[in-house]
Formats: sequence, structure tokens, C-alpha cells
Amino acid sequence: MTAFREGDIEIDFPDQVTPRKFDDPAIHKLTHCMKAVDCIFEWNGDTYFIEVKDPDNPRAQTEGKEKFQQKFQSDKLNNDLKYKYRDTFLYEYASGRVKGKIHYIVLLCMKNLDSSMLMTRSDELRKAIPMEGPGGPWQKAFVTSCNVMNLDAWKRYLRQFPVRRLSEAAAKTTQN
Amino acid sequence: MDHITSLRLQNFTSFEKFDLKPSPGINVLIGVNGTGKTHILKVLYAACAITEGEDRDKPFGVKLRNVFSPYNGAIGRLVRRKPGSSTAQIDVVREGGMRIRASFSNHEKGAADKYSRSRLLWALKPLSTAFIPVKEMLAFAPGFIAVSAKREWNVEEVYVDIIKKAYLPILSGPAARDRKALLGALENAIEGKVIVKGETFFLKNKNGDLEFPLLAEGVRKLALVWLLIQNGTLTKGSILFWDEPEANLNPSMMQQVVNVIFKLQELGVQVFLTTHNYVLLKQFDLQAGKKSAIKYISLFRELVADKPVGPVVSRVSDTYSGIDPNDIAGTLDRLYDEEVKRSFGGTAK
Repeated sequence: MTAFREGDIEIDFPDQVTPRKFDDPAIHKLTHCMKAVDCIFEWNGDTYFIEVKDPDNPRAQTEGKEKFQQKFQSDKLNNDLKYKYRDTFLYEYASGRVKGKIHYIVLLCMKNLDSSMLMTRSDELRKAIPMEGPGGPWQKAFVTSCNVMNLDAWKRYLRQFPVRRLSEAAAKTTQN
Repeated sequence: MDHITSLRLQNFTSFEKFDLKPSPGINVLIGVNGTGKTHILKVLYAACAITEGEDRDKPFGVKLRNVFSPYNGAIGRLVRRKPGSSTAQIDVVREGGMRIRASFSNHEKGAADKYSRSRLLWALKPLSTAFIPVKEMLAFAPGFIAVSAKREWNVEEVYVDIIKKAYLPILSGPAARDRKALLGALENAIEGKVIVKGETFFLKNKNGDLEFPLLAEGVRKLALVWLLIQNGTLTKGSILFWDEPEANLNPSMMQQVVNVIFKLQELGVQVFLTTHNYVLLKQFDLQAGKKSAIKYISLFRELVADKPVGPVVSRVSDTYSGIDPNDIAGTLDRLYDEEVKRSFGGTAK
């Protein structure tokens, strides 16, 4: 089993799946001119792009939280997420690695986001990417699905890849 | 402040044994169709209505019959249906411990018009009250009361009552600061003030006078609230019953509506409302502050052999996140679920 860690969030992957840390200047080497999602993995012949945003991180500094809030309340976050997807797609395509359908999942760790808000966020991101071409579907779709999920939704739809908050897990271990 | 402190229903419509200790502030009733949300509003309204105005001499049973309007006026039809004879009993208690009771069997063909012994004490101090039904009525007001008085027709009395309330004369003298602020907020929302010419209501603003049938139904509803505050129906110690405030309102107006409801609570009005609307419910959650006194009352049927067919019961929560079951959020969860599954299935939007 391999674990992928992004700040306080850890996702476990079964042995047959190898997550690639993508948003790392040493590996990516082009982060000065291209944006990047946090992690890429292949599963059942499809490719998954994962971006983790964790404003609920209990270790987050006030300044960082305020900055995120401003991004969240403006169109900056959506813009950022859109470019992360497009640049990652381009990078992977040009590297000859794009396989199967591509699914984009933004794991937005905000407890207060309910289904209605997740749906709205997902819709806005789909429009921004854009999933739909001019006047109808693209001849060659470059993204098959795009969903914004909170931790609960991830646990429901991606059970194969258990996710946990490290600080909570640590607190539980201490209690026991 | 005067308010309802307790409601007990036994064998009444969908309820077998139902107890509610409402908030002195805002009470939000949610539940799927047929769980008796409006029934609770009507029962409490009938109890309040017989303490004031022309209803003051009516027995509780008669007012109940009139607001529910059962077939042939037989109040016995409001008894919970089950084999054999049974009796419904309703007990309402107000602040200070005064109580009123209505009790009738399923064989009762009339209106259970006996006066209860506690009635005199119950009605000693009037409870100012208004019931805003789902359907906006002011546009139909001209001639409505006259016709309803002349004819025997099967209209729930809440519709007649709200028009009568709207016609009450405007209070004279300057408005207190909080009341003035509330009226101002409503005037901003409806972009004008309401005037009455003869029996017809108009919205008066810089563009002239617009008769109600020409206004959006949402605006008419808020205009009605403006009238009820302006004429002193909604004042400190009064009780407002509002059935689905969201009906015919664009979601963008919910923020203003909820703001008005919170301001009414601060003014000292006890509010009972029903809703099926996510935006309205979420606005309560987002706008609730330290001064807010709010209870969310979730109505649902007990499971019988895993099916929700039993009597209606409730769970009460002080917070939005504690609402259980929350069928409105549940429906959105289901939509999100369908959306995610469709998207993983590969059908791009």
C-alpha cells in the first residue's frame, strides 16, 4: 500500500495503484511556467488528476486561511483550479502519458460545504475548464468528469482510496 | 412577551400523540408532504384567533372547523383515522399557564361548539395573530369578504382572515425605532409602500400606484407583511404563522425574507413557519446570531415494517446541522450523488 500525503491529508492507495506526486518543482521541473495538480494516478485504465485544498487544516495559519477565504469568495480559486487542470493535461499529453478517460477531482476539505454548494462549485469548474466545446461536446474530450468533493463525498465515492486527516488520526492514537 | 409554550395533539389528523414545546422566537417546521406541518400552524392559529376581534366569542372547535374546512363541516373528520370510535384532543398552553382544549369524537358531525371551561381565562388577554397562507390573497381582496359572508362556500377561513387583517387601519403616531427599521427594510425590498383605495390594494412608489394583480406575487407577500406591521397586527407579543414563505419567491429574495423574520423575532413576535426550501432554510442557518431564538422542528412518520406509514412524530433541534431527518438536504445529497455517478459514468454535461 502506498500513501500520498498533502499537508494534513493522507490518501492510501492499494498496491496495484501508484500515485505520482506531481506538484513538486524537483519532479515537474516546469512549475515556473505551468501549474500542476497535486497527484496523478491510473486506475482501471483511466487517469485521475487530484487537487487537494485544505482550508479546514487545524494547523493552517490565520494568514493562510484568510488568503484562501479571499480566493474562495472570488473567482480566483476556480481560475486556479481550471489552469491546474489544463496545464497538467497539456504536460501529460506532451509527455505521452495520457491514458483512458481523465477524471479531475478537487478534494476541498471544508466541512461546511453541503451537497448544494459542492454541486454549484463542480458546475462552475466544469464551465471554466471548459468540459463542453463550442456549441456542443468536444470532438475529442480532454476531461471526462470533474467533481468537487469534500472529505465525506470522497469517502463515499472513492472507497478504494481511504482518506484521513493526519492530525485527527494522531489525536485518536494518543487517546487510546 | 406573550407566546405559545406548548402544544399537545392526540389522535388528530396525522398525529397520534404529539408534543411540542416551541421556541418563543422562530419555529421552522420541515418535513415531506403529508406530515402535518400546516396542520400544526392552523391548530395554533385557531387557538390564538379566538382571543381577539370578531372571533373572540367563537368556541375553539368552531374556529378549528373553519380553518380546516372539513367535508360538510364535520370536525369529526379531523380525528385520526383508525377502526372504531376514537377521540381527538388538542391542548394549547400560552405563557402564564393559560390553556385551551378542544376534544371531539370521529362521530362529531358539527363543529364541537362547546365552550371549554378554561376558555374565559384563555381569552382574557388577546393574542394578536396573523396566518399568511401559501396563496397570496390581497390581489383577490376586493369583494372577497362580502362574498364570503353571503355564501356558504368551502374556503378555509385563513384566507378570509388574512384579508380582514390587511384592511385594518394603519396605526397612528410615530413608529418605534426597531419597527421603523423593519418597515424601512421591507420598503426597500418592495420598492414602495402599500395604500388602499376602497377595497383595492396598491403599491405606491415614484412610478405611481400599481394595483396588486399587476405585481409579482413575491412582492405582494412582502407588502402584506409591511401592512401587518404597519397596522399593529405584528407587534411585540404577537404571533405570526407563515405557510411556506418561499412560495412564488425567487431564491434571491430569501435573504431579505429571512432578515425580516429575524427582525420580527427581535421585535418580540413569535413566528411559526413551514418550508420546503433549501435556500430559506440555509439562510436561517447563515443569518442566525447570538440574539436568535430558533428551533427547527423536523416532522416525519414512524416506520412500520420499514415503511414510513406510522403516525407523525418530530425531532427538534436548535441548530441547522442538527436537523434530523432533513429531507431538503437529503434531496440535494441525492442530486449530488446522481451528478457524481453520471459524471464518473462518462457522460459529459
